[in-house]
Amino acid sequence: MAADSASVVPGGSALARDHSRPLTVGKASVHPVADKDTQSTNLIFAYLGCAAVWLVIGTFIGEYLGIKFSSPDMDHLPWLSYGRLRPVHTNTVFWGWSSLALIALAFYVVPKTSNRRLFSIPLAWVSLVLINLAVIVGDVLLLSGINNGGQEYREYVWPVQAVFAVGAILVAYNLIQTVAKRDVEEIYISNWYIVAAFLWTTVVLVIAYLPFYQTNPISESVIQGYYMHMGVGMWFTPLALGLTYYFLPKLLNKPIYSYSLGVLAFWTQMLFYTMIGAHHFVFAPTPWWIQTVAIIFSVGMLVTLAAGTGNFLLTMRGSFRTIARSYSLPFILAGVLAYFFWSAQGSLEALRSLNLVWHFTNFTVAHSHLTMYGFVAFLIWGGIYGLLPMLTGREPRAFLVGVHFWFAFVGLTFYGTALMIGGTMQGLSWLAGSPFIDSVNTMVPFWLWRAVGGSLMFLSHLVFAYNLWTMRPARAPAPVKAPAVTARALS
Amino acid sequence: MNLHSNHKLLFSVIFLGFLALSMVIAVGPAIGVENSMHPLPGAKPMTDLEKRGMGVYIAEGCVACHTQQVRPIEMDQVWGRAAVPGDYAYVEPLGMWSPYAPALLGSSRTGPDLTNVGARQASETWQYMHLYNPRMVVPDSVMPAYPWLFEVVAEVGADDAVVPVSGEHAPPAGQVIPTEDGAALVAYLLSLRQASLEGSPTDHSEGVAGR
Repeated sequence: MAADSASVVPGGSALARDHSRPLTVGKASVHPVADKDTQSTNLIFAYLGCAAVWLVIGTFIGEYLGIKFSSPDMDHLPWLSYGRLRPVHTNTVFWGWSSLALIALAFYVVPKTSNRRLFSIPLAWVSLVLINLAVIVGDVLLLSGINNGGQEYREYVWPVQAVFAVGAILVAYNLIQTVAKRDVEEIYISNWYIVAAFLWTTVVLVIAYLPFYQTNPISESVIQGYYMHMGVGMWFTPLALGLTYYFLPKLLNKPIYSYSLGVLAFWTQMLFYTMIGAHHFVFAPTPWWIQTVAIIFSVGMLVTLAAGTGNFLLTMRGSFRTIARSYSLPFILAGVLAYFFWSAQGSLEALRSLNLVWHFTNFTVAHSHLTMYGFVAFLIWGGIYGLLPMLTGREPRAFLVGVHFWFAFVGLTFYGTALMIGGTMQGLSWLAGSPFIDSVNTMVPFWLWRAVGGSLMFLSHLVFAYNLWTMRPARAPAPVKAPAVTARALS
Repeated sequence: MNLHSNHKLLFSVIFLGFLALSMVIAVGPAIGVENSMHPLPGAKPMTDLEKRGMGVYIAEGCVACHTQQVRPIEMDQVWGRAAVPGDYAYVEPLGMWSPYAPALLGSSRTGPDLTNVGARQASETWQYMHLYNPRMVVPDSVMPAYPWLFEVVAEVGADDAVVPVSGEHAPPAGQVIPTEDGAALVAYLLSLRQASLEGSPTDHSEGVAGR
């Protein structure tokens, strides 16, 4: 552009245009009109509001934990010690933030694609209360040193996780009934993914919390590998993907590139992904054959990844100008790319040769943030910014959405890069047979950069919370009085 | 009647298919492990104090940074011989709120592996000082301090282990002794020693992979 205007442009008009170029890209307004179904809108906003609160709390704790690596003596309180606080961070962002936000969006997408209202709005409120209750009680118990036995991502004791499970199963019932009573012939692909996420997670939670076959650390590890993988990959992944199968074509105003490709990705997800949990215990004294199966199917996941990502990118092809002009679609583009790259990274980590370097290091921490944040959280944000203005009739300030995007994106880039490099050096230090403390000292600068990235991510969440507030539903309902009878007839 | 328009068929396939795969890859192998679990001949059952200490180890989240699994690869030989399932045979669930074996294998080595720490750091005093504040004995450590596993007393009892604390970490007055939880945790850590595999049917020490 600069070269053009200097050498080619004859007159001053182009130069003058250049001078007046705004600092930021102009974002298209969607001119939203508030949705008439205020009950549904209020429900969805309540879920998103709770999710945002948990995001801010959970990532504030994460940030605090990150700083502890650089300053381990900053407090000496049992409730704030690293070992107790770490599961509070992970469980809060898993069950409080990601789960509630994904359910909120599902409460819009499933009824919309089924061409009817949600089966029961009161039941959905019950689920919200139960899930919030589980996170509150679970967190307080973790802080006071009561956990399930230290199993990652299932640290909440079983009575607490049972409350969460009841909440989630009620959501499942609500969504399945909505699909069952749909007013269209076909079940849209989004609903395959979304309902499957609930069915799969019900199985995962039951298997993970039945104690009979987990009474020694090896059998427990067999279940743990299965659980920690399925808890992520059969819950957050299909929910995020299912929602994207709705939001991407909707926001681009064109159909998904290939419906069949989506179906292929779906069945390979179920077949391949289920088998790969044991790759979290490569070289452990767990049965060798489940480790080998896990590694093989981890590579097989590349098929699922290529099918899913290819489908999304081919849908976007030719529409990149629209994406650049939108404030919601950049989140979805970033999330889709993160899905591909960082899931593929997970497959690589499973290979024995690379596992040798990366297992037990901070590389794993980078991976879990790049996926749960770069992929899942970004798709959630894309969905929220795409959907809420259509529901409430209120748009956020495009500039602040941009601040949210770039702080989160740059923050995650710092975070991931620092821990990927540092984690690799940690592993190489062990392979070289250096004294253990060398691997700690190696990490010192990288832990600092991680904290810098984490701070940017946390700041972006404050901006997001503000943006969410600006998109809140109007207090007074729309002046048009829509009697119940009419509303039913319309829906 | 097909998957695209019959929700009962679609959701049944999704549910039962996943359940069947889960049985094959998770529940089945776990049951197999349960049935083939035998303690090593040279191993000792845990004492009540050590069990309590394992509870403290889990409650404080030590597993977030410490593994207890020596892999059959060269880089892990510094931690001991390769772990076998029988090494974990005496570990039991902690109680009704946690009816599962604790996740001792771990997933992160921000700190060193502890499989054999009782043999590597056999000094009770060192363990107490390290828990009271790790930087008293390992200056570059980033491990949290656990002062709540200790108390400061004016008069030391006959059975109390006094923790030698000096300099910036010392209390203004009195002596530092471990609480019951602190003593239990150290008893547990000191109990972590690998049993000999000699004469054991699970002797895999010859076949070390990755050499």
